[in-house]
This record gives sequence, structure tokens and C-alpha cells, in this order.
Amino acid sequence: MSETALAPRPSPVAQRTPSPGGVRGWLRDPWRKPRVLEAITWGYLAWSIIPVVIAIVYSFNAGRSRSSWQGFSLRWWTIDEDSLWRDEALRQAMVQSIKLAGLTMLIAVPIGVAFAIGIDRWRGRIASTANFVMLFSFVVPEIIVGVALLLTFLFLLQNAVQLGTTAQLLGLVSRQISYAVIIVRARLLSIGKEYEEAGMDLGATPTDSVRRVLLPLLYPAIFASAAVVFADAIDDFIVVRYLSGPASSEPLAVKIYAAARSSPTPAVNAAATSMLVASLVAVVIGFVAYRHFAREQRREGMSELTQF
Amino acid sequence: MDQYRPRYRRLSPLSRRQFLRGSAGALAVPSLAAILAACGGNPREQGPGTGDGDGELYEIASPDNPVTLPIHDDVPPIEDGLDPEQGTTVQLYQWDAYMWKAVLSQYEALYDTQYEWTTFESISGEAAQKLSAGQVRADVFWPTIDYLGKMTATKLFQPLNHSYIPNLEANVWPSFQNPFYDQGWLYTVPYTIYTTGIGYRRDHISDEEMAEKGWDILWDTKYAGKVGVYDDYREAISLALLRNGITDINTDDQASLDKAKADLLQLVDTMDVRATINGAYARLPEDEFWVHQAWSGDMVGAQWYLPKGVPTDVLGFWFPEDGVGPIGNDTMVVLAGAESPVLAHLFLNFMIDEKWALKNFGWNGYQPPLTSLNPDNLIGQGYVPETLDTAIVREEDFGGGLFILEVTPETDSMWQDVWDEFKAGA
Amino acid sequence: MRSDTVVDEEHTPGDAVTIEEPRRPGPPPGHEHATGVWYPRWFWPSFTMPAIAWLFVLFVLPFYMILTVAFGYVDPIFQNPIPVYEPWWWSFDVFNETLSKIVGEDAIFTEAFVRTFAYVAASSALCLVIGYTVAYFVARYGGHRKGLFLVLLIAPFWINYLMRMYAWASLLEGDGYVNDILGFLPFVEPRAWLTGEHITIVLGLAYGYIPYMILPLFGQLDRIDKDYLEAGRDLGASPAQTFLRVTLPLSKPAILAGLVIVALPMFGDYYTNDLLSNSPRTSMIGNLIDVSVYGQGRIPQAASLVLILTVILLVPMMYYLRSTKRATEAA
Repeated sequence: MSETALAPRPSPVAQRTPSPGGVRGWLRDPWRKPRVLEAITWGYLAWSIIPVVIAIVYSFNAGRSRSSWQGFSLRWWTIDEDSLWRDEALRQAMVQSIKLAGLTMLIAVPIGVAFAIGIDRWRGRIASTANFVMLFSFVVPEIIVGVALLLTFLFLLQNAVQLGTTAQLLGLVSRQISYAVIIVRARLLSIGKEYEEAGMDLGATPTDSVRRVLLPLLYPAIFASAAVVFADAIDDFIVVRYLSGPASSEPLAVKIYAAARSSPTPAVNAAATSMLVASLVAVVIGFVAYRHFAREQRREGMSELTQF
Repeated sequence: MDQYRPRYRRLSPLSRRQFLRGSAGALAVPSLAAILAACGGNPREQGPGTGDGDGELYEIASPDNPVTLPIHDDVPPIEDGLDPEQGTTVQLYQWDAYMWKAVLSQYEALYDTQYEWTTFESISGEAAQKLSAGQVRADVFWPTIDYLGKMTATKLFQPLNHSYIPNLEANVWPSFQNPFYDQGWLYTVPYTIYTTGIGYRRDHISDEEMAEKGWDILWDTKYAGKVGVYDDYREAISLALLRNGITDINTDDQASLDKAKADLLQLVDTMDVRATINGAYARLPEDEFWVHQAWSGDMVGAQWYLPKGVPTDVLGFWFPEDGVGPIGNDTMVVLAGAESPVLAHLFLNFMIDEKWALKNFGWNGYQPPLTSLNPDNLIGQGYVPETLDTAIVREEDFGGGLFILEVTPETDSMWQDVWDEFKAGA
Repeated sequence: MRSDTVVDEEHTPGDAVTIEEPRRPGPPPGHEHATGVWYPRWFWPSFTMPAIAWLFVLFVLPFYMILTVAFGYVDPIFQNPIPVYEPWWWSFDVFNETLSKIVGEDAIFTEAFVRTFAYVAASSALCLVIGYTVAYFVARYGGHRKGLFLVLLIAPFWINYLMRMYAWASLLEGDGYVNDILGFLPFVEPRAWLTGEHITIVLGLAYGYIPYMILPLFGQLDRIDKDYLEAGRDLGASPAQTFLRVTLPLSKPAILAGLVIVALPMFGDYYTNDLLSNSPRTSMIGNLIDVSVYGQGRIPQAASLVLILTVILLVPMMYYLRSTKRATEAA
């Protein structure tokens, strides 16, 4: 009996019937490489990424066209009057994009993290309602939120807040809080309560326990959500467009939208490329921070608890 | 292994209680807001424009009915002899791509100031709403004449002090000196003049064919997929009206509007029409459109959007021979509540200065109505290509042309309904 | 650590060693029987207060504003909307008018609504077919290249949607690369893509939203234990049967969730239309709303349309929320 228990499982490879030759054999062979699926996958990835690569390349086009290559040039980046660097409106828009995304991240992530921590431990009717509203803000299409916020700022809050950067910020944060909540909650689910309880047993007050035990455990998730919020806020153009006021409050995404509908030059490609770079930087930083903190926690174990 | 056991759970339908619990958060709100609002009477009876009697809210101006715009006591003009403001930014509220930035830089240098240019996509949708709600603070604005009555009645503009604008009498066409829509130039200064016709590619459509078909050419199935109209409800519907021979382009006759609507819908169905704003000056030169409704200034400006190596004689502009076609002009005003009114006045004066207006024209293609600009010289001086001589606007054209005038809100609603249907592609 | 009083009566009678318990917040007097960790009752809710306050003012109230404007009235000169805050003064004229434009006798919006549903259905189906294939391949056969695939699959999330659509539109221009390629191939012809073609919009929507479908599907498919599939095959099932009777049912929740994630934003989409086709022939519900706001200034109509759209989407949204809540509770 023990022998059968200890005997290695017979390898499926050794046991399979030898496959018949020919095309029918190939079709019936369950271990064959799925060429069709692979082709489709690579085809999809090409369809997904290559247009963007082409758009980036065409931002260096010497001519005006977006579809016929006329040589390499930096004119749409720095040289021309309408170029990304020299056109004051585009430059201002770049600054506005980064400003909005950064501020949104700084406001939405703390609020979202706090909410996630609170809602994870709090039970009850109000808690589930609050959670429901939070998730609702995540799934509702942006045009609905955009129009609703526009009406709010035009009428309810018209004396408090004018359309423009402040309004855009307020609108963006309402949407981004849910991103942070979702990411942090996912992490919270896997953490569990033992660490805090251990901390409390060692004499920590509740606030201490959260601050010095729970939060460090959440650093990976916090950084991940900061990166996601930044990348998402910098790309937003629906809510931001409805809430924009003077020209200086239009971020690059809105300018790209306006230009793409009228007479796009490769300067638009250049603008979009620079936004892509900004998002990429944010994502990479977030990823690196995530790995750093996650690895640190695996390595150090729960040494935070020794503080008590 | 347990966690991978497939769970064929049926999704239970929402129980009513669960649904209500979830939406309870949202439904709890109305009572709060109701408490917030003062317990006044029916807001409908307290709103603006009611109880004023049943007189007109604003007078409708037309060439047969010149109008002196109302002056309000609480919006006085600025005083004479003030110095231009220092250290402020002049806020311009304009269409996109309508002024040459080089000219604006000259203005900055001349008056030691800065400008900020905010754009809007349409007056009917955006600018009117934002201005009347006080959501945009600007100094200078560019209304079309069909908004002057409404906006002066609601005190959005300030009356001009002409001592700052000597160029107005000095440079502008004499026949333009007392326009029907603003007798005495109380509020406005003219910016550009233009006619609305059809721009076409002369390498695909011969001049003879264009002259023969006129407005009908947009419905010629030979050119399906290559036609365009303006994304502006007044312009596009006027086009359809004129095609049917209806010359009242401010009509409130439902039957005429129905005919126009049917034609526009036919454009959608059979001609793959597209509604754009830049189709005439930016995309027709790129051969994306072969015919497009066009303002004369758009066609003149199109020459600068031609790809390299394409000669300017591919561009053509058609306008009815008898001159019975849409004509119009844009105006500039100083907004009430402007932070830099003196600079704004000086800006108006600057833009009708001979030298700078000409430079601006050389960039956007729209003629300013200045005496120094002799229409007969424009081709010789290289501003307008020969084949586009029909795009040049002359003083005489204003006699027979049709203006897009202001209409009553009810009429406007009828036009908007037609546009609704067109844009929904019904 | 809880310490006990140690008494060793043999050695040191009356000299018991007591270790002081470290001070810790405990239950208030009278509740000493409570076990586990004690937090004051207001502790966790206070964490949620900032978010709740924010969402109330800037998410819940705006929805109420939609009601006040949709059921309000307009000023006579500019037709600007004037919201009515008290529900008992609400007027349903504009709302009824908008509703009749959709389902009434002289309805003019019906086509746009039907068209939107058709586009969403077609695009979602396309997203599902392509997305499932790709997710399945990467999950099952990704092997050591899985990381690379994942990076490439996630990339669209931080590339601006506009940029991707704009890039795609550039390729579809009359002299763009798509037509160049089609010119080479024998059985297809170059055609005009950007003049109001339905196929362009369906492809464009699918292009924009497939990434949202792939990731949840991949997550689910990746978790399916390979032992199941091998067991199926050992029992004599062909690859197709294994797929149909093991993999597919296991991935059903993810399929449904993915469909909802993809369909919801499509219903509110208007920018794909603006970028890929200026023609009214392909206008969607989102375009109706956008034109009402920006093109015409008919804000009460826009608010009514938004309200109607929200109601239409309420059922799928609630379904998605319930299913995710159940999934997180189960985890």
C-alpha cells in the first residue's frame, strides 16, 4: 500500500498512445502547439500596439501628413512655431496635464486608502451603502458623470467654484478614489487581521496599530494605486473637457481631442507621445516601488511588530 | 482542490430589498436638497422674463428694420482719457484659429501687455451658455450678429467709448458705418466679412458643371462620400432652404423647414455627408472633400493648407450669380465686467488698423471691411489666387445678400429640432 | 504577551513575582467579556468619512442635479436651463418631449438608440471572440513568455484612449497603411473607412475596449488548474470537449463580467464617433448627449438623455456590482 502511495504518478507523456502520422494525426494530437491561437494572439498584439508605434514615429515626420512619410525631422517637437515645445498653448497644456494628474493622485490616494481600510473592518447598513456608492462611481460611464458634474458646477456650486482647474480636480478625484479603493481592498483581503491584533496585544493603541503595522503592509498597494491614478488622470478627457474653463485649464488630452477633430498636425502626435512617456514613467515608478516594498516585506517578515 | 470546484451558481435576481438598500444612498438625497432650498413659491413664476408683460424680449434686427441696441444705466461705458491697464492679461474669447498669433504678439508688444485666448466650439452651445451664466470672464468677444439682441438685453456687453477707437470711422467702409444690427456702433466693431457658398475642387469638377448645378451639387450622387456641410445648424439648414429656392433663411415656416429637413436627411442617406468645421479650409485641400459648404474666407485660407506641389488653381468657390446668397460679418465687442476695458478698446482699434488687419487677413483669409483694402487689388497683391476671385466680397454684395438674423426663441427651437434629427441620423 | 503571575510557594512564599501587564486599550468597564481586539466604535467609520463626504457632494449630488435640470425649465431668452430643487415643482415637459423623441410617434432618436445597441452588441461579441482567444492562449500556452505577453496586454491601459484611436484613424485614412495593404491583397479592395461606415465604428469600439475584456478573462483562465484539463483528457475527452465542458463553464463568470465591463463605457461613447466618422449616420447615444450640450445648448434635453441612459444601464451596472461584491465576499 505504501508503495503505491509513494510511487510516482505515471507520466502522461509515457502513457499516451503514439499519434498517427499525417495531418489527421496533427489535428488530433492534444499536445501540439496551438499555432492558430498563437497567430491570432500575435495578430491581436500587433493590431493593438503597432498603430501607436506608427503614431509615435510620425511625430517625427518632416511633412504635415500623418500617413505619408516625408523624412525625419524634429520640427513638430521643437522647431516649428506650432510645435509642442514652442506653441505656448500646447506647453501650457502639458503643464496642466501633469499638474492635474499629480494633484489628483495626492488627494485621491489618501482618501481612497483610508476608505478601503475603514470599509474593510466596518460592517453594517451604512457601510455597505457607502461601498455600493463607491463601486457605482467606478462603473458608471464617464459621460454621465461629466454632464452631472457640469450641472453641479454651473448651478449648485456656481458661487463656490468656477469651471476650470479646481472644478476639473474635484471631478477627477471623485472618479479616481474608486481606483485606489479597489486596489487597496484587494490587498487588504489577503492581509487579514492577525498583524494588527498582534500589535495590539503588544500594547499599541488603535491608531498606532494602523499607522505602524497596517500601513507599511499596504505600501505596495498604495504605490500601485498612486501609479494607476496618475496614469488614468493624465489620460482623462471626458470629465475634464466638460469642466474646463479658460484655455489655460485645458490639459493635453482635451487639446488632442480638439485637434484630432479639426486639423491635426504631427504636433498632436508629439503631444500624445509625451503623455505616453509621462504615463510610462509613472507606471514604471509605481511598479518598482511595488516590487521594492513587497520584497522588503517578504524578506523582513513582520519586524514592525518588534517595535512594541 | 476545493477552491477550484466549479460552482454552477445561478445568479439570483436582485431581491427588491437588496436593490432598494443599495439605492437608498442615492434616494436619501432629495429630501436634503429640498430642505436646503428655500421654501419659496413656484420657481416658474419667479424666474426672469416672466411677468414682464408679453412684449418682445429683444428687438429683431433686419435690413428692413434697423435696430438701436438698448443702453442700460447699470452698464455704463468707460470714461474718456483713461490709461491702459498695467500688468493685466487681456482675455480673448474667440473661435479657434481665427487670428494670427504673430499679429497678437505685435499687440502685446505695442501695449506692453499679455493676452490669453480661450476658444469655444460654437456660440449656440457653448459661448452663449457660459457667458450668460457668468462662467467665462473675458474682455473681448466675437459674436455673430444673430446674438446681439439677446446679449445686449441681458447686459452682457458694455457700450463702446469711441474715443478709443478712432479707426472705426476712419478706416471702415462708409456703407458699413451705420449697420442695421447696431445703429451708431453702440456696442460692436466689425471684424470680418464673408459670404457662404460652396468650395469645390476644380480638378474634379469643372467650373461649368458647378455653375450649372449650384446648390444642387451637394445632392449629386456622383460625389457621394466627398461632400460636406458645416457643423452649424443655421448654416446647414440655410443651405437646404436655398436649394429649395426659399430665400428667407430666417424662416419660421414649418413647411419650409420640413422640406429642408427632408433634403438634409437625404444627404445623410445617399451622400455620406459629413458635418465639419474645418472641412473647407483644411480637408478640401487635402482632397478629402470635393465639395464643401464654405465661407469665402475659408476658401481663401485654404490655399495655405494645400500639400506641397499642389497648385492653388485646384481651389474654386461658387456663389450665386445674382448675389442672392448668405452674407455676413463677425463683430467684436467688449464684455461687461471686463477686467481690462481700456486695453480691450485698444485691441478693437488695433484689429481694424490698416496694417494689422491686412496682416491678419494674410493669415486667415477673411476680409476686413476696410477702405484701404481694395477688393480689386487683392489678386494682384497675391492675397487671393485668381481662381478664387468669386470669394472676394465687395461692398455692393451687401445689397442683395441674405443675412443670418436673430430669431425668436420659438423659431430657434424649430430650427434646433431639425438639427436634432439631422445629427441623430434618423 | 499576556503574563501570568508566577507563584512558587515552595521557594518564595509571599514573594510572588508579578510582571506588570503592558497597558493596552481594552473594553470599557462592564464589557470585559469581549474577546479579540477592541477598537472604539467610531474608529473604522472615521476612516471612511473623507471619502463619503467627497462622494456625497461630488457624486451623489450631481445625480440629483441631473434631475433638477431635466425636470426644471429654461429662461426665455437664451434657453439656459434653470434647475428646480424642490421635487414638488418639477415639470416633466422637457423629459416627456425627449422621451417621445425616442419612442413616440415622430421619434427621431430611435435610430440612434437602436444603432447604439447594435454597435455595442457587435463590438462586445468581437471583443469576446478575440479577447477569449488571446486570453486562453496566454493562460494555457504562455509558458515562460507569459510575463512578456502580460506587459504587452497591459500596455493599452496606460496609453491614452484618444491616442490609440487617433493612431488607428491615421491608418484608416484614404492614403493610409490599411488601404495600402488592402491594395496588395488579391480579393479585397481599398475603401473609404472614415466617411460614416458602421464597420469602422464597430472595429473602433472593439479596438478601444478589448483590453478591458482580456485581463479579467486571463485572470480567470490562468487560475484554472491544469490537472482538470489533463483529467478530462485522460478520461477520453477530445480537446474540443475538454474545452467545452471544463474550461468554458469555469470561465463563465469572467465572461459575463468582462462583457459588462466592456459594454458599459461603450454605451456612453461619443468620441470614437467623433474621431472615426464625422457623419450623423453613425451617431450614438453619447453623441446625442454631447451635441445637446455643446452643439446646441439644450441642456435640459441633455440631462433628460443622461437620465434615460442611466436608467437603461442601471440593470447591468447593478448586476456587475452584485457579482463583484459576491466574489470579494467569497474570497
